[in-house]
Amino acid sequence: MVGDQIINGIILGSMYALIALGYTLVFGVLDKLNFAHSEVFMAGGYVGLSWIALGAPVWLAIIGVAAVAGIMGLAVELISFRKFKGSDGQITASLSSLAVGIVMIDLVQKYWGSEPIAISLPVALRTAGFTLGGMTLTWLKVGILGFTLILMIGLQVLVQKTALGRNIRAVADNPASASLLGVDVKRVNQQTFFIASALAGIAGLLLTMRTGFASSDIGLGFGLKALAIMGIGGMGDLRGAVIGGLVVGLCEGLGFQFGFGRLADIMVWVLMIFVLVVRPAGLFGNATARDVRA
Amino acid sequence: MPETLLQVQDLAVSYGPIQALRGCSIEVRPREAVAVIGANGAGKTTLLKALSNLVPAKSGQVLFRGEPLGTRGPHRLARDGMLHIPEGRGVLGTMSVLENLRLSYDIRPAKLSFAVALEEVFACFPRLSERRTQKAGSMSGGEQQMLALARALINPPDVLLLDEPSLGLSPRMVKEAYRILRMFRDRGMAILLIEQNVHIALGFAHRGYVLRQGQVMMQGACSDLGSDPDILKHYLGTSVEAA
Ligand SMILES: Nc1ncnc2c1ncn2[C@@H]1O[C@H](COP(=O)(O)OP(=O)(O)OP(=O)(O)O)[C@@H](O)[C@H]1O
Ligand SMILES: [Mg+2]
Repeated sequence: MVGDQIINGIILGSMYALIALGYTLVFGVLDKLNFAHSEVFMAGGYVGLSWIALGAPVWLAIIGVAAVAGIMGLAVELISFRKFKGSDGQITASLSSLAVGIVMIDLVQKYWGSEPIAISLPVALRTAGFTLGGMTLTWLKVGILGFTLILMIGLQVLVQKTALGRNIRAVADNPASASLLGVDVKRVNQQTFFIASALAGIAGLLLTMRTGFASSDIGLGFGLKALAIMGIGGMGDLRGAVIGGLVVGLCEGLGFQFGFGRLADIMVWVLMIFVLVVRPAGLFGNATARDVRA
Repeated sequence: MPETLLQVQDLAVSYGPIQALRGCSIEVRPREAVAVIGANGAGKTTLLKALSNLVPAKSGQVLFRGEPLGTRGPHRLARDGMLHIPEGRGVLGTMSVLENLRLSYDIRPAKLSFAVALEEVFACFPRLSERRTQKAGSMSGGEQQMLALARALINPPDVLLLDEPSLGLSPRMVKEAYRILRMFRDRGMAILLIEQNVHIALGFAHRGYVLRQGQVMMQGACSDLGSDPDILKHYLGTSVEAA
C-alpha cells in the first residue's frame, strides 16, 4: 500500500517536474513568469485525446501534442512577451500571459464543454501490469515514469551540452552581453518557449492518460502547483524543479496514504511558504545576481 | 576593402529628454586604432552602444563597411565582424571560461579550428588556461578583462570596440591589458578605443577624438592632440578628477 503510494507520488511528482521545468526555463531566460504555461499544459490533454480520437498511436499523439503545444508557446511569446524587454515589463508581460491563459480555458470550454472528456485508450493499457515487491505497477505507470525520465535527462543534456543550450544559458546570464557575442536573443526566447511549452503539453497528455480524462480546470489546480514547485526548488534552477516536483509528489502521495485526503492538495503551498521563509532563494537557488536583480 | 570601416555621420542619440549624443561624426579606417576620450557623461559609452545597435539613433547614421547598420541587431553586427567589449566587460559570469570562449569562437566562421585557436589564446593568457573550467564570474576583475580580450583573439573581428578596458584594473593589469591591445593593433586589427585615461589612450592610438557633451570638440593625430595645450581644458570640461 505504502509502496503503491510512493510510486503514485513519484509519477505525480515527475509530471509536476515536467511543468515546473518549463516555468523555470522561461523564467531563467526572460526573468518573467509565464502564467499561460499551466493552460498550455491543460490544453495538452485535449490536443492529445483529439490525436488519439483521430486514430493516432500514442507515440504519434505525443509528437503531435509536443508540436501543437510548442506552437502555442510561440504564440504566447509573441503576444505576451515580445514587446516587453528588460525588467520594465516584468509584471505587465506576466499579466498579459495570465489573460492569455484564461482565454485559453474559455476556448477549451467552448469547444469541449466544461465537463471532463474521456480519452479513448485500450483498457488493457491502463490495467495490464505486474506486481513488484508488493507494488502494483501497470505498464502505463512504468511507461510514464520511463518517458518523463528520458525527457528530463534529454533536457539536461540539451541545456548543458549543445550549442542551443549554451545560447539559452548565455541569454539567461545576460541578454545584452549574449547579443554582443552573436547570440540571437529573440530566437533563443522562441526556442525556449517552444521547448517549455512542448514539455507542458506532453505532461498534459500523460496526466490525461493516467487519469483517463482531460479536464479544463487542471491548469489552475495542478498546473499552478508547478509554479509553487519552482519557488520551492529555486527560481530558474532546473535541478530544483525536478527535485521540488518529486518531493511534492511524494508528500502528496504519502499524505493521501495517511488519510490527509484533500489536505494533501494544500500541502505544496504550505511547503512553499515554509521553504521561502527559511530559504528565500528556494532549495537550490543561490542568493547571487539573479536574486539581487529580482 | 572600402576606405573607411566605420563611419559615424552626424549621429544623435537620446534617452528620453536626455541628449547623450548631438551630431557626432567619427571614422575608423582599416588597420587603424582610434581613441575617443572625454569626461564622465560625455557620451562615449552611448557612442559604442549606438555602433552595435544597442540603442537606436535619433538622427544621423552609421556605416559599417559602407553599409548602413539599418535594423541589424547586435548579434548580426557581431557576426558581420564587429566585436564590442562593453563597459563592465560583458563576460558571462555563470558560464565557464571555456564556454565564454566557445561562444566567441562560434560567432562567425573561423580560420583556425577551435582547438588550435584555444592553444593560441592560452599561450597568450596562461592564467585563463589554469582557470578554463572556472565560472567566469568567480574570477578577479583583471582575469575577467583578460577573458574579454581573449575573445578578440579566438576569432579575430574586423573591428574591435572597447569601452574603458583599464577601468577598475591595477596599474600592473592595465599595462598587461595594453600589451595585448598593442599586439592586436600591430597585427592590423582596427580598434575603436574609449578611455578616460588621456595619457594611455593617446599613447596607444593613431588618431583621437575628444568628446564633450555629445559632440566632437577636437580631433587629430594622437601625437598632435597629445601636445595640444587646449586638450585638457576641453577634456576636463565638467569633471576635474579625470586628470
Ligand atoms: N540608460 C540611460 N538612461 C538615461 N540616461 C542615460 C542612460 N545612459 C546614459 N545616459 C546619460 O547619457 C549621457 C551619456 O552617458 P554615457 O554613458 O554615454 O557617458 P560616458 O561618456 O560613457 O561616461 P562614463 O565615462 O562615466 O562612462 C549621460 O548624461 C548619462 O547620464
Ligand atoms: Mg561610459
